[in-house]
Amino acid sequence: MHLSPRRQCAEKMDPRVDQYVTSAILPRNFFLDQFMVFASANPVSGGLSRRRFLQTSSGTVAVSLLGLPAVANSSQQAQIGTSPAGTPGVAAQRIDGVAKVTGQKVYARDFDARDMPEPWPKTQTYAMFLRALTTKERFIGLRTSALPKVAQSARIVLGNQLTKAQRSPQVSFRRDLVMDQQIKETRFVNQQIKEALFDPSPEGFDRPSAVVYDLIVQPGNVPDYLGQAVALLIFDDFKGYRAALQAMQFQDDQFQIYAPPDGPLPPKDQPFDPKTTYVKYDVDGEAFDYATANPYAYPHEADTYRGKIEARLASIPGLIRQDIQSDMRAMDPMFMEPEAGLAWLDPEKKILRLVLGTQSPDGDVRDIVSMYKEGDAPTPLDEVTLTSCYPGGGFGGRDKSPFSLMLALAAAFTDGRPVKLIYDRFEQFRVGLKRHAATLSGQLAIAPDKTIQNIEMTLQFDGGGRKNLSPYVASLAALCAGGSYKTPMANIYADAIHSENISGGSQRGFGGPQAFFAIETALDDVAAAKGWDPVDLRRINAISQNDTTVVGGPVEQELRLTEMLDMAEAHPLWANRAALKQDYDTREVNYGTGIAMSLQAYGTSGDGTVAAVLITPEGKLTVQSDAVDMGNGSATTLGVVIGDILGANADHVDMGCYTLFGQTGLTTKDTTGTRWANPDWTAKGVGSSSACLTGLHQVHVVQQTAHALFEATLLPAARQIWGQPDLVRSDVTWRNGALSLVDGATDPISLPSLATAAAEMGLPRGALGHAYFQNTWAEADFDLREGALTHLALDGVSLYEGEQSLPRRVVRQNGFGPDSASKRYSRYVWAPCVNIVSLTVHRTTGRVQIENVVSILNAGRIHVHDLVSGQSQGGVAMAISYTLHEDLPPGMGGPANGTWNLDQYHVARMQDVPLGVEYRPGARAQELHILDETPADKGQGRGIAEAVMCSIPPAISNALRDAVGKRYTSLPITPEKILEGLRA
Amino acid sequence: MSISFSVNGVVQTVGAERGDEMLLDYLHEDMNMTGTKFCCGMGICRACTVSVVKAPNPNAVPVISCSTALATLNGTDITTVEGVASGDDLHPIQTAFLENFAFQCGYCTPGFVMASKIFLDWLATAPVTEDELDDAIQNAIGDHICRCTGYVRYYEALRKTAQDVLAAKEGAL
Repeated sequence: MHLSPRRQCAEKMDPRVDQYVTSAILPRNFFLDQFMVFASANPVSGGLSRRRFLQTSSGTVAVSLLGLPAVANSSQQAQIGTSPAGTPGVAAQRIDGVAKVTGQKVYARDFDARDMPEPWPKTQTYAMFLRALTTKERFIGLRTSALPKVAQSARIVLGNQLTKAQRSPQVSFRRDLVMDQQIKETRFVNQQIKEALFDPSPEGFDRPSAVVYDLIVQPGNVPDYLGQAVALLIFDDFKGYRAALQAMQFQDDQFQIYAPPDGPLPPKDQPFDPKTTYVKYDVDGEAFDYATANPYAYPHEADTYRGKIEARLASIPGLIRQDIQSDMRAMDPMFMEPEAGLAWLDPEKKILRLVLGTQSPDGDVRDIVSMYKEGDAPTPLDEVTLTSCYPGGGFGGRDKSPFSLMLALAAAFTDGRPVKLIYDRFEQFRVGLKRHAATLSGQLAIAPDKTIQNIEMTLQFDGGGRKNLSPYVASLAALCAGGSYKTPMANIYADAIHSENISGGSQRGFGGPQAFFAIETALDDVAAAKGWDPVDLRRINAISQNDTTVVGGPVEQELRLTEMLDMAEAHPLWANRAALKQDYDTREVNYGTGIAMSLQAYGTSGDGTVAAVLITPEGKLTVQSDAVDMGNGSATTLGVVIGDILGANADHVDMGCYTLFGQTGLTTKDTTGTRWANPDWTAKGVGSSSACLTGLHQVHVVQQTAHALFEATLLPAARQIWGQPDLVRSDVTWRNGALSLVDGATDPISLPSLATAAAEMGLPRGALGHAYFQNTWAEADFDLREGALTHLALDGVSLYEGEQSLPRRVVRQNGFGPDSASKRYSRYVWAPCVNIVSLTVHRTTGRVQIENVVSILNAGRIHVHDLVSGQSQGGVAMAISYTLHEDLPPGMGGPANGTWNLDQYHVARMQDVPLGVEYRPGARAQELHILDETPADKGQGRGIAEAVMCSIPPAISNALRDAVGKRYTSLPITPEKILEGLRA
Repeated sequence: MSISFSVNGVVQTVGAERGDEMLLDYLHEDMNMTGTKFCCGMGICRACTVSVVKAPNPNAVPVISCSTALATLNGTDITTVEGVASGDDLHPIQTAFLENFAFQCGYCTPGFVMASKIFLDWLATAPVTEDELDDAIQNAIGDHICRCTGYVRYYEALRKTAQDVLAAKEGAL
């Protein structure tokens, strides 16, 4: 049996090598499916439990959620998540706004142990990780004599001092149900092959074959990736930490010792599993695609259909073949708050307390528990508590970030003292998750009648050292490779490769920015080459309701792409582009206009969301959500979308309530195999937070839960007050914050009066709802009052009653929901956007100035207009920055060398962005047109956080082609590249 | 020898041996005031901007607290974001940022608040016309980095507040 150097080292150092290797490649808690969740009574403020349990293979761990603490020297707790009551359904300002604009402690970085409530100690230690400098030599250890004196007194922890569970904790990735299924299919196929070959070495999922990651490299081993930790230093106080940081920064090679490898290097450039292949063939009544094929036969049949595609294309007279070739560098999310957190492992009480700002609290805590609950864990752990802070930006960079694990790891080496881990910007650039560098190549085939016949594309993403969410990103990119178009044939392959580079993560757009760039620039090249109108070409091929995607899934949502293209075509920025260009030409300025469109999906192949809506006897409303508000405004939105249902906005919104699902009584284990007929089952509990999940998913569960509260509490109270026992929802309406009969027959009742009456009647004081969306919502009937069933688009409802801290579950009846097969559609809902970009090019410097952007967006129901347009504006700026400025070289020539900061990495500033909001010739502006809602929207919003930005980069490239006459397909398009084009 | 300065009106005195320490660290560690934010740590992003007045110049200037040593601050009066509002009464620029949904994650907001406040205070006496306002705003906050918003709403909020200042100035004439 061949052993990589990495394993050989392990074998030399660890006499339990067989056990070691086996446990490393055979995940103990694969997907942590074994985790069962259930709630316990642990009343906190408000009388509600925020506690639940995770059942692991080694025991039970309680997990709890805590709110931001009141700070000792402050008069009160940070006023975050609270808002004065305003017009129902209308947000006057961000609900988290006052706290943020006055500098209150709301971010994880703000909190020290001294800010935390009893029993936290008031002093804390500081952690620092040293980072690997090479993946081509063995790390031997530290030259401690070369360390500054202050660092020599620190506690130094090397990889061989970690237990197995600490070195290589089981990391869960449950991002996308269709991918989970694909992994199972791959494993099944691999298993069949291996059984046939009698190969005893199965591949793990979390790691590529023959590579074992350690959180801290063991001395003697070759680091797996640049920036991997090689040592942990613990300092007793900030003074020592700061002094050491200043003395050691940029000096790594002075005290890290490396030696040549003693064998072949660990393999690189292998794709992480699973890879994505979408082959579609829908010609002359013969149909084949991923969505409807037999999953196990699909890989073999796909090969056959590739041949058929080629044959078909060869038979089309005058077929136009346009090559696709794009590449882009990695990009840093550059959220403003570098990752930071606080942890305290209390060995006496066996509690790990965490203060974090993360997009994925549920997944992070699960991973941390896996580190501490194995048999060799240094400290037995009974409980994890999480104070979930508002993140200082996210953009996907805090979604399953390794930071949480590193913080939890450090907590084990502080002798029971709290520890703070605070990345500075250099370290954030060095190890923080990135948008993947990518290369995309292929060919677009178009018939002479302008119809797309085939989209062939290979997309390769540089996943970096850790797998993270890279295969999921590649998979969505494969779907986005189809653009916004219908095509009878497609041959798309996408993967994420393992490399030495900094790991890629989910990042705003999730593969969409790369894929849309490739298809939209190629399409424009066809139009230019053939002299076709680029809008017309797009309009002819625009996908619409009842068409199928390249995956084969049907589009069941109204898209309105052709209508949007019509609007773009008529806009003066586009319609007058030739005259505008001529005008600039007379002034010897290169001017160009470009158009591009995107069809960014939101959500995953199956999304579970949970929310609670609570009411006090005084009529004050609280919304609780498992979602995290990264700044996108979800807290604000969720606070006002109950206004029309309950007569008032929420006075308080709690985000990051990841323990709520544990109170629903639902499970993802379908032990009976009856799916929705099993009232205990749901397809997915909750997932990571993404800004694009607010508009539809999070709003839906909050509104449906508000309906449940109305039916269970407010309506019965109204019946009692009015003496109308047969009153139903359609009989009443809210007017000026008071419930009224539609026919106006009686006096209105104010919400506080209703709430007081409901409390006196002992009616529920809150509702908890869980929703699941695939291509449709799961729905069911619930007995919320006196035997009368209420139909809701929820698969779980519970009611908070009396003094009970845990809600009483209302078992669903007549439940139904999406079938299992439809998750193979990959995505179901879309946020279409068309962008027109105009720009000028400075002929001597190569500087590009974006003059105008016109965005036409289908956002469905608009919940808070200011937040939607704010997301659009932020997306425009980030896309401009991505296209023209942001550049992260791979290897040690880039941020992995630890010297990168904003002096080398340039992000868009105010001058780079058009600041006007209304187009006027001669002025710079970004104008947003949001389509009016139609009945087909059914009152639902769309997740638009990524929508606008996805088609900005190709629109810029298309505009540059118009301005300079050269196609730029390599991002970022730097002034040097522009000058090269101008010279050509 | 010691270094003396005030923060939001509270006098601070530290030994000269701490002169190399950065103001931002002092605010965070000694005063437990974390409203002023650490981002790049090298004075580029401006998230750590505070307002500093040093006699005899009565005008406040923006100072990058992450890169400003305590030794340079002797005799200064420093205002941080925690000192801008008067109790529950927000400064007009804070109100404008709120009403205009100017920020999202909000981490850069304290820096924008401080730079804008300094700008507005200056504008009240400076000979700036409406036509010159955009350039002046660009000078005031154009180097601040915000990753969420695309700057549009910060710009709009500050421009509107600046116009109010100009109008008030004109009305006083």
